[in-house]
Amino acid sequence: MNGAHDLGGMDGFGPIAPERNEPVFHDEWERRAFALTLAMGYYGLWNIDMSRYARERMDPAAYLRSSYYEHWLHGLETLLVEQGLITREELDAREAELAREGT
Amino acid sequence: MPVLKAAHVEATLRKGGSTRVDTAVAPKFKVGDKVVVRNLNPLGHTRAPRYVRCKRGVVQRDHGVFVFPDANARGEGPAPQHVYSVRFEGDAVWGPDAPANEAIYVDLWDDYLDPA
Amino acid sequence: MGKRTHHDVPSDAALRVKALESLLVDKGLVDPAALNILIDTYENKVGPRNGAKVVARAWSDPDYKARLLADATSAIAELGFTGRQGEDMVVVENTDQVHNMVVCTLCSCYPWPVLGLPPVWYKAAPYRARAVRDPRGVLREFGVALPEDVEIRVWDSTAELRYLVLPRRPAGSEGLGEAELADLVTRDSMIGTGLALAPGAAP
Repeated sequence: MNGAHDLGGMDGFGPIAPERNEPVFHDEWERRAFALTLAMGYYGLWNIDMSRYARERMDPAAYLRSSYYEHWLHGLETLLVEQGLITREELDAREAELAREGT
Repeated sequence: MPVLKAAHVEATLRKGGSTRVDTAVAPKFKVGDKVVVRNLNPLGHTRAPRYVRCKRGVVQRDHGVFVFPDANARGEGPAPQHVYSVRFEGDAVWGPDAPANEAIYVDLWDDYLDPA
Repeated sequence: MGKRTHHDVPSDAALRVKALESLLVDKGLVDPAALNILIDTYENKVGPRNGAKVVARAWSDPDYKARLLADATSAIAELGFTGRQGEDMVVVENTDQVHNMVVCTLCSCYPWPVLGLPPVWYKAAPYRARAVRDPRGVLREFGVALPEDVEIRVWDSTAELRYLVLPRRPAGSEGLGEAELADLVTRDSMIGTGLALAPGAAP
């Protein structure tokens, strides 16, 4: 698809600004998003091409303004819902529950 | 479904998941061939970036036979075919004002290419 | 808080991931111990020191270097580095005529077994967009100035081949052993956005 992910040659993004000696993960949630994605891929319900396509289908503006592991989170959620392993409603409900608990 | 267990993680990672396919498939191109990237604009997944579509390059290497992502992402199976390293001169991609001495090498499948 | 659509970025990714993990654990679909091993592997066990060993060996042993350039997957496997996102490797050599730089414009493809997980800048829009468009400008931003007559080759990792740059061996490093040579090999020099360190230089 001609999505926002297809970035080669796009202008206007500004400096690369590499972070010196950056950590592998910047937050605990990034670690979990990474590991969950790999662990759920183990089942073979989708292949790597399907998983990339799931990330590519993120809203273009959302893709460009969000971070890398937010792309992974979006892709994983999409794949899990499309494969029928979870529903968005039950995930929303679990999130609301955790927010109420203040965790 | 069997869950990935801690004890199996290392072996699973070491094994990896090569998409190379051990099937004899005739290549459409050989090293040195001039090629042009097709004007493809699928709604589904593809690995032909927009910046090389309709651009001309030269085949540098035949990497062998691999799963074709466009078909694989549709759940149609591997559709195995050759992948080539194709060299594009900077001005072939970006136009005559492109700096000299810059080239881009892109890995492209048979189905992305036509003879030029 | 309205109904979430696929257009939204979660306002709190941490909360969303926590919810997702707890749901998947409740359904018996993930083993948290396996998650911890996955994290530990890539946070602590696999990283660019692996690739540095490959480079140091190639600098020290011309036969190994020849094998590495002919069949990188097998040569890298000789040192024990194999597996996920490195199953099909290609090594490209920097010379006084050619400088190589690797990118994945479409996502973040990177040779995990030899370099670990990619840095944020490699996966973000500025590098992915500019590496193929203005490689010399990108190199300047990384503090690398190359003569105009050096050809720059940018490798876009669009397929499942994973690329490792073999940087030039620094002057003054003759006589150093492999371990000392490996210390000169930076992560960026193996992506192609940097050069190997001169002996005695601060990293």
